[in-house]
Amino acid sequence: MDFSNLIEGLGGYTIDGLTKGSIYALVALGYTLVYGVLRLINFAHGEVFMVGAWTVLGVYTALGADSGVGVPLAIGITLLAGLVAATATAGTALVIERVAYKPLRDKNAPRLIVLITAIGCSMVLMELFGHAFKVWFPGAQFGRAAVNIPTIIPTQEAFSIGGVGVSNIDLIVIVAGVAMMIVLDQFVNKSRLGRGVRAVAQDPDTASLMGVNKDRIIVLVFVIGGVAAGLAALLHTLKYDFAKFDMGFLIGMKAFTAAVLGGIGNLRGALVGGLLLGICEVYSSAVISSNWEDVTAFVILVVVLMFRPTGILGESLGKARA
Amino acid sequence: MTDNTKTLETVREWTLGLPGKISAGPRWVRVLLLVVGLAFCVYLPFLDVLPFAYIRTDLGEGGSDWASTLFTITLYMIIAAGLNVVIGWAGLLDLGYVGFYAVGAYSLALFGSPNSPVTQAIAAQFGLPTGWAMAFAACVPLALCLALISGVALGTPTLRLRGDYLAIVTMGFGEIIRIVMRNSSWTNGASGITKVPEPPAPDKDFFSTMLPERWYWLALAVLVLVIWLLRRLENSRVGRSWLAIREDEDAAAVMGVNGFKFKLWAFAIGAALGAIAGLLFATKQASVEPNLFQLNLSFLFVAMVVIGGSGNIWGALFGAFLITYLPERFREFEAWRPLAFGLALVVIMVLRPQGLFPNRRRARELEDRKHEAEEAAADA
Amino acid sequence: MRRNTLFAGGALALAVALTASACGTVDTGGGGGADGECSLNIGVMGALSGANASIVLPSVNAAKMALAEYEAEDPECAVKLVEFDTEGDPAKAPGVATKMVQDESYIGVIGGAFSGETKATQPIFADGSLTMISQSATATELTVDEPSETFHRVVGHDLVQGTAIANYVAEVLEAEKVFVVDDQTAYGAPLGEKIREVLGDKVTESDKTQEKQTDFAATIGKIESAKPDAIVYAGYAAEAGPFLKQIRDAGLETPFIGGDGLYGVDFPKAAGDASEGAIVTCPCVPSEGTFAEDYEEMFGEAAGAYAGEGYDAMSIFLEGIKAGHTTREDMETYVDGYTGEGLTKNYSFDENGDVAAENVIVWSYKVEDGALVPDQEIEQ
Repeated sequence: MDFSNLIEGLGGYTIDGLTKGSIYALVALGYTLVYGVLRLINFAHGEVFMVGAWTVLGVYTALGADSGVGVPLAIGITLLAGLVAATATAGTALVIERVAYKPLRDKNAPRLIVLITAIGCSMVLMELFGHAFKVWFPGAQFGRAAVNIPTIIPTQEAFSIGGVGVSNIDLIVIVAGVAMMIVLDQFVNKSRLGRGVRAVAQDPDTASLMGVNKDRIIVLVFVIGGVAAGLAALLHTLKYDFAKFDMGFLIGMKAFTAAVLGGIGNLRGALVGGLLLGICEVYSSAVISSNWEDVTAFVILVVVLMFRPTGILGESLGKARA
Repeated sequence: MTDNTKTLETVREWTLGLPGKISAGPRWVRVLLLVVGLAFCVYLPFLDVLPFAYIRTDLGEGGSDWASTLFTITLYMIIAAGLNVVIGWAGLLDLGYVGFYAVGAYSLALFGSPNSPVTQAIAAQFGLPTGWAMAFAACVPLALCLALISGVALGTPTLRLRGDYLAIVTMGFGEIIRIVMRNSSWTNGASGITKVPEPPAPDKDFFSTMLPERWYWLALAVLVLVIWLLRRLENSRVGRSWLAIREDEDAAAVMGVNGFKFKLWAFAIGAALGAIAGLLFATKQASVEPNLFQLNLSFLFVAMVVIGGSGNIWGALFGAFLITYLPERFREFEAWRPLAFGLALVVIMVLRPQGLFPNRRRARELEDRKHEAEEAAADA
Repeated sequence: MRRNTLFAGGALALAVALTASACGTVDTGGGGGADGECSLNIGVMGALSGANASIVLPSVNAAKMALAEYEAEDPECAVKLVEFDTEGDPAKAPGVATKMVQDESYIGVIGGAFSGETKATQPIFADGSLTMISQSATATELTVDEPSETFHRVVGHDLVQGTAIANYVAEVLEAEKVFVVDDQTAYGAPLGEKIREVLGDKVTESDKTQEKQTDFAATIGKIESAKPDAIVYAGYAAEAGPFLKQIRDAGLETPFIGGDGLYGVDFPKAAGDASEGAIVTCPCVPSEGTFAEDYEEMFGEAAGAYAGEGYDAMSIFLEGIKAGHTTREDMETYVDGYTGEGLTKNYSFDENGDVAAENVIVWSYKVEDGALVPDQEIEQ
């Protein structure tokens, strides 16, 4: 226990926590939307994120990008990589929904069953990237080991507040993450399609009586979740620069925890939960050490749930107001 | 087509309907079948008659010992039976079952091994000779107590939460147990504890690593006992209350069934069975380390129960058998096994959402829900 | 009726697969010297599939090379190297160990590759008096605290390496303030502990991380305030990559030193440009001359981690067989008393099965252009 360390570096640790939390929040969004509409824990969502990270690596490699490219080109490549990654993750999320969830939904199967197919999907995706691709495409950069993704935006200090330096990467991750959450929140709360999402979340049967196409809404929800995961993967790449076949599992668990912490099914809850979880983890690592951070995360979750059984902001997507 | 279907129908009647037929038959038939079945299970490690011997796991090059595999299968069957109480009967989604498994294994290791910091501290405190450790027989009730305590300690604050919240909190519990064991110096950290004691036996070499079939028989005996107890429990007042809670908790509450109390019971019983399995595992393994209790084992356990058909104890046992046996049997496929496993989970569940051997009542519920879904679709 | 078809199809597929996969391998017994012919097996056990296979496969390949050279001499005894995949999981290792012990044709085992599975199988091999030579299990307690009768290893244990790292930091880098980080695994924690012990006052601060961690902000914050002359990391490549990258991103140019957990192609691959100039120590001598070339020619890739050790372990067994030691007892005595010059060091085993301390050589390697280049031999 070393609180003096935390207090000395409080500003820096907070920035680090926010960076970490923004990525959690974007991934948590996918869990929360799907849960809000389908009451289903999409356990394969972490692997959707992993697909995004590999896609970013693929785009960089295809364009031959490395640390040498200039600033304008780097920004262009990053945006392109984000676009491709978001498409790939949205596609993956949709395929999972069609192959593993829809057939079961049509049979009105209990949600426990869907959980098992989700775990199955997650294993398949992990194995595809961890092993199978290497066999099918000898020489491909896929494998069990962590693979470095070239840094195309070098880290440097952007500005400093009160002696606390904020790097350009941290700035991009936090601003992009939070902005993305706000845009999606506005989309769900203001747009016509968003109203459909809320209607289905509140009462699927009544919504379909009112002319909302439930299937289309479900597709939309998986696409939005997938896009958010793709962008999270891009931000993760900018900050951490690596891809690994099993990277999705842990971040998926954490993001799911964040979603529950904030109130699952609630978009703003995902943001609050994600940022809070990120900050708590960094603080606890600063005070004790990193090997206790998962314990801290889960203890905080249990404590919050004991006092607010539906998370910090409550759970209903249908009731979320503008 | 019809002939084929008829044969299949007969086969299905015979396999799936068998437990029902047996329980309806005269007593001597039941006893005889039970004895024959048990005798066959006991004989299994020595099975070497050719067409049947193909089920052995040690035929191919690089295979694993058949009796040791049977031990693992039986061990996971005990776990599946225990988790079936929580998931199948009481309808609670527990994603941290590995935590109880770890509690069982570590209670035996911490108190029964002369190498554990706990026994050493106790020995130093009370001036006992070095190398002192608690007897195996004393560790069993201790492990059960610790598991019950942890089950109740986890259940009391969390069982009031709704289903999905329970899932993540139990998952967290499983992880916390593992991480604490990894980080704490009381459990020797990540290196774990060696010299876990063997069960009491007539002579010193009775439970030897050279005779894995004896370990299998021990596990089999425990499994039979567990099945017998659970069958009695299923048809008791407690079993009926679980059913009522699972179907409709509010209606059950109106009828005077205290949902919380019975849920806690299910949790505690599940925890105790998990701990027994953990204890058996630790004593066979002779050493424990936190890495043996990773989170993905919990998912594997849930998959066993659900694939087999949750709610039906035979289904859960069969699920455990499949999930443990097939990867061992098909070792030739090495790195492709996890991929095949994931695919199989998806395919089986999509084609057969009720599980391979569903509880009859559950299958009917599912059939109803399917009709409802179809009607709703037709209405729309 | 789809359900029936599914069942029948599944059953049929299973039956076909069962028979097909074991075709022609029904002989479960050993063929050791059955008809006066000499035919022996040597097992190699480790993670041949899964996340850590890349650390194990080079040594298995090298063992195959040694066998190929042996066979080229047209020897009296036919020797077969049989691979057993444990996925690195201590729970899966006892099954294959029992299988080897029960089959009389096995005369030795190379492995286990990791310390966890080695610890779990030591008692089994000891009971079956089957000689083990591990190529890469470095945990200290395997020999020092709880020696096993039949266990040997051709690699120095963690304490030797910990001392070497500490010496390198203190003497070559001449660091006065050292920051020690370990990853709280069975490998990293004791290694970090030893480094701290040897460095004593020079360790200004230390921290613990964990496996699968990606964000090291808190640790880097501590490093920034401690301002050390060197950072020592006791852990594996998967975490060291992102860790080092984040250290460099934070603007710290402090020298970075890691143990043999970082040895191999994975570390430069995971850390990218950031790994330039990082130091990796390993109790393994650089593969030189014909061995490295032959290996590359045979397997199409550079000789990876512990390739030389795998070759040496196999060579010791093969020399024993050439000298006519074709029973387990003879082989055990032979290996216990073995002295000779291997590829990576001079061998003679002490009573615990360790390479005699004066023969253990620790080398440091430096990352240059994304590859590990031998730097210097570290003074003990």
